[in-house]
Amino acid sequence: MENATFDLGRMRLSGNHAIARGTLEAGVRVTSAYPGAPISDLQGSFEQLAGNIPKTNAFTIKVGEVLDQTGYQLAAHWGTTTNEDNSVALALGAVIGKADFKKREFLTKKEWDLVYGETVFAKDEEKRIPVGSRVMTSFKHLGGNTAADALRVAVNVVPYTGGLGIASGDDRQGTSSQTMQDNKVLYAFHFRIPTLELHSPSTAHTTVKNCYRLFEELGVPFVVIMNYDLSYREDSVDTVMELDMEANHRLKGFTRDPKHLVTIGPHIRPREIKFHSKLIPLFKKKVMENFEFLGNKVTEYGAQPKAVVVVNGPFREDFRLVDDDPALKERLLNKYGDVVVIESDLVFPQPGALYEDLVSKFPIEKIFVFEEGYGRVIYLQLLDIINRRGLDVKVLDCSIPYEPRIYERFSYIDHIVNV
Amino acid sequence: MASSQNPAPEGPAKDEITYMRPVSNCAGCGDTKVSWSVHQGMRLFNRELGLKGKDRYRLIYAADRGCGNLQGYHTYGIVDAILCMGSGAIVGDGIKESCSEKEIVVTASGDGAYNFNISGIKFAAKNKKFGAINVIYNNFNIRMTGGQIPLEVDFDKEGPALGFEIIHVNPYRVDDNAELFKELYPRYLKKEKIMVVADGVCVLDMGKDARNAGVRMGHFKRSEECLNLQFAKERERVAREEPEKLKDLPRFKCRLCGIGLRCHALLDNDISICYGCGSCAQFPCPQDALSFEGISFSTSVSIPELTKI
Repeated sequence: MENATFDLGRMRLSGNHAIARGTLEAGVRVTSAYPGAPISDLQGSFEQLAGNIPKTNAFTIKVGEVLDQTGYQLAAHWGTTTNEDNSVALALGAVIGKADFKKREFLTKKEWDLVYGETVFAKDEEKRIPVGSRVMTSFKHLGGNTAADALRVAVNVVPYTGGLGIASGDDRQGTSSQTMQDNKVLYAFHFRIPTLELHSPSTAHTTVKNCYRLFEELGVPFVVIMNYDLSYREDSVDTVMELDMEANHRLKGFTRDPKHLVTIGPHIRPREIKFHSKLIPLFKKKVMENFEFLGNKVTEYGAQPKAVVVVNGPFREDFRLVDDDPALKERLLNKYGDVVVIESDLVFPQPGALYEDLVSKFPIEKIFVFEEGYGRVIYLQLLDIINRRGLDVKVLDCSIPYEPRIYERFSYIDHIVNV
Repeated sequence: MASSQNPAPEGPAKDEITYMRPVSNCAGCGDTKVSWSVHQGMRLFNRELGLKGKDRYRLIYAADRGCGNLQGYHTYGIVDAILCMGSGAIVGDGIKESCSEKEIVVTASGDGAYNFNISGIKFAAKNKKFGAINVIYNNFNIRMTGGQIPLEVDFDKEGPALGFEIIHVNPYRVDDNAELFKELYPRYLKKEKIMVVADGVCVLDMGKDARNAGVRMGHFKRSEECLNLQFAKERERVAREEPEKLKDLPRFKCRLCGIGLRCHALLDNDISICYGCGSCAQFPCPQDALSFEGISFSTSVSIPELTKI
């Protein structure tokens, strides 16, 4: 089935709508959620598009027409899932059915053997990717705690959880939550699944769509996080929307593989070892190979950079001003001298090879890490990379441990370029 | 950190060694027998419809983490998915979203996990797109899982309140239960919501059924080490009515098997009231004084024997 392309028209989308758009463009068939600020709008859009509640905004009205015309299949479960754990459990049930195949896009044959070699699909001569429904589940940051049990199980049934996306709405300042929390810690360090912090409503859809393409093939769920401010803030977007109808209309069915899907000790122990010792290194390799594909960008300012600046999440969003404002660029160079700037949505896993390449290529002395949240997840990973690889570089933590409240929002650019 | 008192190991740490142990249910448990009936029912359903090969309906058995379902996986290989605790029902509803029209999803949990599962079960009841067959292994009678805590569930009230029709079954009536599931699958396809409660073992019923089928029940035998069974009752009375005298009573070797198993045959030393629940067959008597002979209806491997009846 051919992809459906249409013009969204001139429209401003919030961060939540942008994730919804990326999810639909990826052909996701099943969505589940437990509502909570700031992420409710995401599943709210799916509920409207699935026809469970009336369409109330320009995005769902416009996209809803196209979904109806194209026969797009969408099931949305919101409110009927009574908590975040149930939301993830339903998503797990929906994603583990693999009755269809797609051609390899990112994996070599050898890498395919590593990911799928122990499954019931191991004898497939063409080494195709077993696929089923793509699924999105979402909840606010604290929901990650409630859903922790099911999320941990999602790691144990890799690669059957390929095609599962998780969207986390982070309220790091407790604007509408009882507790502040940096969920990058939860997903990156505890669950150790690919984690990205989306930086802009204008590009989030592309990153989400590409995450589905890459991480489905790797057989691992992924997480996209957006902070409170960006979830609600609207931005102009690319007007052409393309729905992956092939993914949306895949064969339905369940393939038995109890050695993977019945999570008992003898099954999960070797898989846990494999996940940490073989699959995570593979994930690092693949995110390195597809660094730009995942929405990340490396820019050199000057010929002999001695510093690397990593900007993530809202820091990255505000850093975009540098490209448009010569004065800011001058301040950047005054502060750091020649510098390599890594604009990164990627939080985990950090590609060590990228930093090693930079250090070997340039006389890098310092790496400055700008990330939001108390977790300092990128900073700690870079320390680990530097130590393990024996690189003679200092890593400096420049993070802000919380998110300024939405009505106190100030630009982070001064924090980055001020001397 | 290594020190002179706590030196570092010389070689690499050895991998954890996990010793396999035989998988079996507790004495008296009939859980896995229901899952066998679930599958047998599907065979009968397809046979009745005359469906063969790819045209057949297939069963997907999404279970909760619990002894009955783990045994169902280990011994019979009839479990398709066990994910996190208390999630069988909701995972099953997720599977329904992505499975084919020729696949029927049955979910199962113990009565303890039922309490975790309520929200998922409620979801299944409210879900208008699919039917639901949810099996509950009600172990309350044998004090396993939910029975460990005094949390008896009145399924006849809670089930309809959640939106389910309740059907009680005796897990040992495997053929009857297979017939029942055969009848339930078309109702699932009509999007009906049914909860099958497999009540805890009833040794009286078992014994009667077995005798009616002409099965010679097994029985326990005692060696000379197993002394004065009647004394257990006296000790219980003293403990209850004159606890200050309890310390003066001599030790009694079979207090555990008589009282712990709640077996009147052992307590009364009367083999004629043995119903063959098989509890004593699995009791690890420290004196090797108790052994079991004959067919046990409690051990999980008894299904092939049951089907011969």
